[in-house]
Amino acid sequence: MKALTANRLTDGEVVFWTGSGWSERFVDAALFDDNTAAELAEAHAKSQITLLVDPYLIDIAEVDGGVAPVSYRERLRALGPTNKLDHGKQAGGGADIAVLAHAHGAARSKGRVDLIRRK
Amino acid sequence: MYRYDDIDRETLADRAAEFRDQCARRLAGEMTEDQFKPLRLMNGLYLQLHAYMLRVAVPYGALNADQMRKLAHVARTYDRGYGHFTTRTNLQLHWIKLRDAPDILDELASVGLHAIQTSGNCIRNLTADPHAGATADEVDDPRIWAEVIRQWSTFHPEFTFLPRKFKIAVTASPKDRAAIRVYDIGLRLHRDDEGALSFEVLVGGGLGRLPHLGPVIRERLPVRHLLSYMQAILRVYNRHGRRDNIHKARIKVLVAALGPAEFARQVEEEWSLTDKAAVDLPGTELARIRAGFAPTGFETLPPVSAAFESAKASDKAFSRFARRNVMFHKTPGYALVNVSLKAIGETPGDCSADQMDVVADLAERYSMNEVRVTYEQNLLLPHVKLDDVPAVHAALVGAGLATANITLISDIIACPGLDYCALANARAIPIAQDIARRFSDPVLAENIGELKIKISGCINACGHHHVGHIGILGVDKKGEEFYQLTLGGSAEDDAAIGQVLGPAVSAERVAPAIDRLVEVYMRERRDGERFLDTFRRAGLPMFKEAVYAEAH
Repeated sequence: MKALTANRLTDGEVVFWTGSGWSERFVDAALFDDNTAAELAEAHAKSQITLLVDPYLIDIAEVDGGVAPVSYRERLRALGPTNKLDHGKQAGGGADIAVLAHAHGAARSKGRVDLIRRK
Repeated sequence: MYRYDDIDRETLADRAAEFRDQCARRLAGEMTEDQFKPLRLMNGLYLQLHAYMLRVAVPYGALNADQMRKLAHVARTYDRGYGHFTTRTNLQLHWIKLRDAPDILDELASVGLHAIQTSGNCIRNLTADPHAGATADEVDDPRIWAEVIRQWSTFHPEFTFLPRKFKIAVTASPKDRAAIRVYDIGLRLHRDDEGALSFEVLVGGGLGRLPHLGPVIRERLPVRHLLSYMQAILRVYNRHGRRDNIHKARIKVLVAALGPAEFARQVEEEWSLTDKAAVDLPGTELARIRAGFAPTGFETLPPVSAAFESAKASDKAFSRFARRNVMFHKTPGYALVNVSLKAIGETPGDCSADQMDVVADLAERYSMNEVRVTYEQNLLLPHVKLDDVPAVHAALVGAGLATANITLISDIIACPGLDYCALANARAIPIAQDIARRFSDPVLAENIGELKIKISGCINACGHHHVGHIGILGVDKKGEEFYQLTLGGSAEDDAAIGQVLGPAVSAERVAPAIDRLVEVYMRERRDGERFLDTFRRAGLPMFKEAVYAEAH
């Protein structure tokens, strides 16, 4: 399972593709079971140069209470820094944030590694 | 303190206007991200995990009160009310919006601040001894020479696209407080018996993937030839640096490959062909810059202050602060006051906007309008009358800035790590917080004595882990955060790269491992030995055994 993420151009905010637009919350992210559909969405995102920086696909897995990014780095992007819990997306709280915060297991973000490699 | 002149001010205003136009073109879609990225980086604007990060240059770590207040204002208005001081003595703002960046650069320019030379493969913002102008052991004020190099290197057309970034540190003291052995170029001023000044020139130090201590390539360079000699070094590097491989592109790799003697020979040869008069700074210009750093306003005071002594005698907390954070000044009746940004449980190097305002006020009122940033991620008020130290201490207590832990186990360097940085493999901040909490008892910390812990969240080593007495490197081990410990490093006169202790440990095992290491030290230490001394005498095995024993 995959989701599509990027940083918003104007402010750098982490955003997720919902299927029809971009949301600041991971819970709104469209989930792709089909790689072709995911790659099509990624290609479309790359054309939105006035809206986004560095769109890429991330791996998603089922966790207690919902789904979460597989990699620790991507969960951190979806939450905010662990040294200031009142900053970032986590500050608003909510059930969706709790699911991400309690997700276990960490793995390198493959999408991010691919991105760094391409650079 | 040196004040920017009309040329500097015009340059900053032009640069900010240029960046405003570049941002507008990017936002309008007239530039792709690939085209824009090098331009924003040249203005210190990175894209990190959660937002843009602006790295503001603090040349040789020197700020005046107005500049500090402006940083507070920017942090409050455009960020989340705080900033992070780094091992390069810069300030990083972690929550910046691209659309605000042009306004921020205008604000900074209004007080002579900018983000030039904080990114890209150019000569980066210089660092210098934070005790400059205040310490008795210096032979000259190193800031003068750092400012000379700043003016020469800013937008230098020949050295704007070097094989890789290039960092220079300057000191004028036998005691190294600027980590000159781990810089691309380290400069140490000497004064001979006739009073003539010269530079000892070290080239090819650095941390990161391939740590090296810089060898001396010239023992004594007459100071008047500083710029022509720097040009010769940079030309040899520019010609032969490994542009084909980013991991081998720093000058340390070239110096190591050629050997220091051959590298020095090539520099001398290049230098012999240089029209030195065309490059070296004219004496009149040096005198103008020197005048900008002339000490002014020091009063003739007795070396002992009754107010200071009486506060020490009556107030235990103040007495500890005086022991740890207050240092000897070359002028009788004055002191250097260290402001720790390592309050127990806080993020190393972080400073809130309100705290910046407090420090600015104290600098203006008590420290001749000067603040310094140290590479150990603390602040320093360089010229405080001993009589005023109790008042300064009280104000720092009120602002949460009076932690008396300079050089102690909780005075930890930590990079932003995976909490913010797009390059990191693991977090650094929570590890520092864990360790500081474990050793929060000030009596215990003082009993342990000097112990420098340095933490990096990746091999790029922004947290200087290679040169920590205890170094901690975050690694990605099968997708989890693990930490490799190194022992015996130092960035000072006894500079050394630390030795790897053993297999990396998980995050929750780091602070207990530090406990074991400290136990071994406390058990084995002899009179007057620091952790580092005991480690160097006793060797790695007993420390290793203590940490890994329970795993067997």
